[in-house]
Amino acid sequence: MSLEELSYSPILRRSFLGQAGVGLGSLALSSLMKRELRAGNVNTSRSSTSGMAGDVLQLPHHVPTAKRVIFLCMAGGPSQFETFDSKPKLREMHGKPMPESYTKGQPIAQLQGQELKCQRPLAEFNHHGKCGRLISDFLPWHGKMADDICVVNSMVTEQINHDPAHTFMNTGTAIAGHPSMGSWVNYGLGSDTEDLPGFVVLTSQGGRNPQPIASRQWAAGFLPGRFQGVEFDSRGDPVHYLRNPAGVPPSQQRALVDTVGELNGYRNQVVDDPEITTRVAAYEMAFRMQASVPELMDISNEPREVLEMYGARPGDGSYASNCLLARRLVERGVRFIQLYHRGWDHHGGLAKYMDICCGLTDRPTWALLTDLKRRGMLDDTLVVWGGEFGRTPMYQGKEGVGRDHHIKAFSMWLAGGGVRGGIRHGKTDDLGYFAVEDVVHVRDLHATMLHVLGIDHDVFRVKHQGLETGLTGVEGARVVEEILV
Amino acid sequence: MPRISANRDLACLGPFIVRWGGHPPENSSSTMISGRTQSTFAWILLLGVIGVVDARGSDSTVPPAEVANAEHWAYTTPEEPSVPAVMDADWASNWIDLFLLARLDSEGLAPSPPADRATLIRRLHLDLTGLPPPPDRVDVFVADTRPDAYVKLVDQLLALPSYGERMAMYWLDLVRYADTVGYHGDQDHSISPYRDFVIDALNENMAFDEFTRMQLAGDLITDAGVRGQIASGYNRLLQTSHEGGVQKQEYLAIYGADRVRNVSTVWLGATLGCCQCHDHKYDPLTLRDFYSMKAFFADIDEEDHFKHGTNALPTNREPEISVFTEAEGRRVDELNQRIEKLDSSVQSVSTEDRELIVGQIEVLKEERASIEKNARKTMISRVVTPRTTRILPRGNWLDESGEIVEPAVPARFGKLELGRRATRLDLANWLTSRDGAGALTARVMVNRLWYLFFGVGVARSLDDFGAQGEAPSHPELLDALALEFLESGWDLKHTVRLLVTSQAYRQSSLEPRKLLDRDPENRLVARQSRFRLSAETIRDNALALSGLLVSVVGGSSAKPYQPTGYYQHLNFPARTYKHHGDLRQWRRGVYVHWQRQFLHPMLKAFDAPTREECTTQRSRSNTPLAALTLLNDPTFVEAARALAECVLREESTNDRDRLDGLFQRVLLRRPDDRERDTLLRYLDTSRVHYRKHEEDARALVSTGQLRVADDLDAVELASWTAVARALLNLHETVMRT
Repeated sequence: MSLEELSYSPILRRSFLGQAGVGLGSLALSSLMKRELRAGNVNTSRSSTSGMAGDVLQLPHHVPTAKRVIFLCMAGGPSQFETFDSKPKLREMHGKPMPESYTKGQPIAQLQGQELKCQRPLAEFNHHGKCGRLISDFLPWHGKMADDICVVNSMVTEQINHDPAHTFMNTGTAIAGHPSMGSWVNYGLGSDTEDLPGFVVLTSQGGRNPQPIASRQWAAGFLPGRFQGVEFDSRGDPVHYLRNPAGVPPSQQRALVDTVGELNGYRNQVVDDPEITTRVAAYEMAFRMQASVPELMDISNEPREVLEMYGARPGDGSYASNCLLARRLVERGVRFIQLYHRGWDHHGGLAKYMDICCGLTDRPTWALLTDLKRRGMLDDTLVVWGGEFGRTPMYQGKEGVGRDHHIKAFSMWLAGGGVRGGIRHGKTDDLGYFAVEDVVHVRDLHATMLHVLGIDHDVFRVKHQGLETGLTGVEGARVVEEILV
Repeated sequence: MPRISANRDLACLGPFIVRWGGHPPENSSSTMISGRTQSTFAWILLLGVIGVVDARGSDSTVPPAEVANAEHWAYTTPEEPSVPAVMDADWASNWIDLFLLARLDSEGLAPSPPADRATLIRRLHLDLTGLPPPPDRVDVFVADTRPDAYVKLVDQLLALPSYGERMAMYWLDLVRYADTVGYHGDQDHSISPYRDFVIDALNENMAFDEFTRMQLAGDLITDAGVRGQIASGYNRLLQTSHEGGVQKQEYLAIYGADRVRNVSTVWLGATLGCCQCHDHKYDPLTLRDFYSMKAFFADIDEEDHFKHGTNALPTNREPEISVFTEAEGRRVDELNQRIEKLDSSVQSVSTEDRELIVGQIEVLKEERASIEKNARKTMISRVVTPRTTRILPRGNWLDESGEIVEPAVPARFGKLELGRRATRLDLANWLTSRDGAGALTARVMVNRLWYLFFGVGVARSLDDFGAQGEAPSHPELLDALALEFLESGWDLKHTVRLLVTSQAYRQSSLEPRKLLDRDPENRLVARQSRFRLSAETIRDNALALSGLLVSVVGGSSAKPYQPTGYYQHLNFPARTYKHHGDLRQWRRGVYVHWQRQFLHPMLKAFDAPTREECTTQRSRSNTPLAALTLLNDPTFVEAARALAECVLREESTNDRDRLDGLFQRVLLRRPDDRERDTLLRYLDTSRVHYRKHEEDARALVSTGQLRVADDLDAVELASWTAVARALLNLHETVMRT
């Protein structure tokens, strides 16, 4: 059942801005809307017609430690053996057959039917920070923030190919049509911005064979379309159709929007249709976005020192620029930001491509964390770093040494927003094949993210195809309390 | 009627189930005992029992056959309901109205007055053809006071080719038709002839059972020929992948599950997809049913692409066939005849002549080969030895310990007694036979037709006729419609005609606030519904009003303007989009290239689905992104300037008459004084600007590919383009009322 089928609901009519698409609010009513969202009134009205669980009304369910999320998606799946999971034993076993006791009956991607040999790590690991975290030499700037991040070495996922694995990481299932985590969070908590969407996606690339990323990764699924992620392109027009047609200056566009609004208003006096009010608000916000989005995207007015810290050059579409944009987005109240860097699919050329990918992302990530910290925003911003899966301890040789996809153990890190910095969580076995201690499933990660945002994942549910569905699915998930402050 | 009362009682299950929070807890029956009647009580107990699932996901308690005893409304045999008595039978124009009126009587409500003629003709055109009425037709209809004028119009519209296009838009959502493979590289695949089959079949009014057979099993019907093969492309519409590292077994499991989800949702309104890992929690469907359904499709030849799928556009998805256009087909026939003739004459001529003739044959064969090579291709179903289908415990494709199953329909619904392996054709026949699931299929389909013409289903959940779906607001009406559909021989046009000739359909949608508050979702149909047009219709409406629309039926997909760089995240191969710079630019939305991973932003902004899964009902959102689209997408700016050109080429020369004409063209009514004043003021504002900035005027009036009207004053054209943009952006323009 479509949740948009509510336009005629009397309760929604009172809070018509709930229909106003990306982001929320407009004019004087926006604050009212936000208040309603916090109190859950809008959700109440949804429950009556869409079968949303009543419990969700009490959002937040508990005191949140984070207000927003920046998710750094290292698309393609970075190797844990060259980043955060040091495995001396794998070095010793280099070149020897991978013991069958590990691999028998396990899902394998491109190495199907091939000889499985151990591949030594291609990096040295050194201790960093007060905590003495072992971090690979590929990531010198990560070394500087060792005390701020919580490394989870024991991640597991269920999907071994890129596309479904991304879908799984974003929605908790590989079946299409479910909402992405950013959509869930905005649906539950609403947005804190009047001029921007609450869920923004930025992408960059560089490395080996950039894997395609489908827009379903930020889709709202069965939630209303206005909760979908909006991709801002850091080159060209940041949002589709943001630019006026040729020959239409802003003054003329303003006159057009005014005319349309006026005529819609007259019509409303005749037909009394609440959707008209919504449309007028949508046009107002559209017009404001035409100014606010380019302003946001233009980083040339940032101090030189800041640009240098990130290594960002205005308009270059790089991960560095996107990190800086992420900071600008959180400053403006955007709730959920995803940065995709495409290039981590290192089936071959591992050393070369690790150099490239880390070269493009290591320092900007440090800059983002440092900048947030400096501005006092890291405390209530959760930052997550990781791929859709990890890579095999086994050798793959597509144009030089590489590693295949691996889902039984990989590493991610979290920082800020109520997560304890300077700790490590979970362990893998000697060869790094299986997560063996404090295993964290993708669903546990979801539960934990929702938890720091003040949301109980078991309660935050929407009825879909007869089932109460949430980001964490029905199989059960656990908040990883051990890593929280 | 006891049956009906049981149905109503079932509706109160909703709250119980909501309280369970996800899956029902084990042994939940004891907490559920508060149903009001025996039947409800039995059903609740039953649900509790089915909820007990063992670790392997199979039902440990009640065999599904026993579950069948519960009378769930959707699974009962529809009976001819007696037409209810009503207070004012004169209002009714057919029996549909009587069912609605009886309910309104009991609610103390009266139906709305009929919509005015202009609204009615616009509604009917948009509903039946997806296009606005041509301006000259409006006046004729408004003036035509003969009692049969409306019904005649209905018949005319049902006979138009645009009817098939409009109905196909919906069917293509159901069967998840798209032009790309969906997974990973999202390459184009060859399938557009299937889309054309759907349009043609709907236009020919192919009986729905035949339509079903052709799609599920056209390749198995001996006399269905090439057409049957094209139609059997239905089985190939699902998302596929040849990503490096896909495991054949895993993807075959994924494909099988995809088909089970689709076929069960489209025809049965059943969520059989839930049974991939475990027996259904609410409906009498089991893990075994899921895999038995999957087994019907185990004969489909589709493994080739795991090895030979290419990163080309289109990619390769064997088996495919070449499909000729009429002209190509004629030419190939001609070539064949000539080749044959030459072949037979080659023996009886001199050596010199023989060489000449052999040379001629070569040339003709080359031409034939070139036609074959360039013809559209389409994926088809072709039979291979059926793969073994096992029950996958917990849906795990790596677990090969499950029992082997044969094709079978869900046990709750019966059994195919064939004495041989059942085929897709048997499935199609069962889905549409009264002895099989025909009654359920009919209910599911008429409910969706109702949704198309009234804005909301008689039963609101168009995709779920199980226990978790909502019971119908008018169960007897739904049954009567289902029976009518069955007894008419699955006649779609007949059923559509019945719906739109009811008095209920012709009601005004201008409901008083009181009614809106009383029945916000219009379940009682005391009025017509108003709703936003679909994405494709918003496009088609603008193109039709401006005269740009190209009304050619069928063909390969069209590529309208699209923001540059939109496909930058696609790879294998890297993609650049090139819009069509010819007449294809102005084709209807139903023909727009459907890129699953990056659906055209205009379609997306207006809630067209990506067609990764079956969509029975689209959202109707109202967002700033949609506003930006309508404001700035070159398609709409170009339509506005074409409209402006029409205005300036009309006879009248004063602004007021021109404006009234334009307004009438777009909205089928005259502007009132305030509206006219506002628009004339805006016209003047625009003129002031464009007089001062002629370069702006020239830029605006050359948006898109439409030839620039050099003979018209650019300032005037730009100013009227501005006015036309305003009209195309109005709420009223994008609404069906």
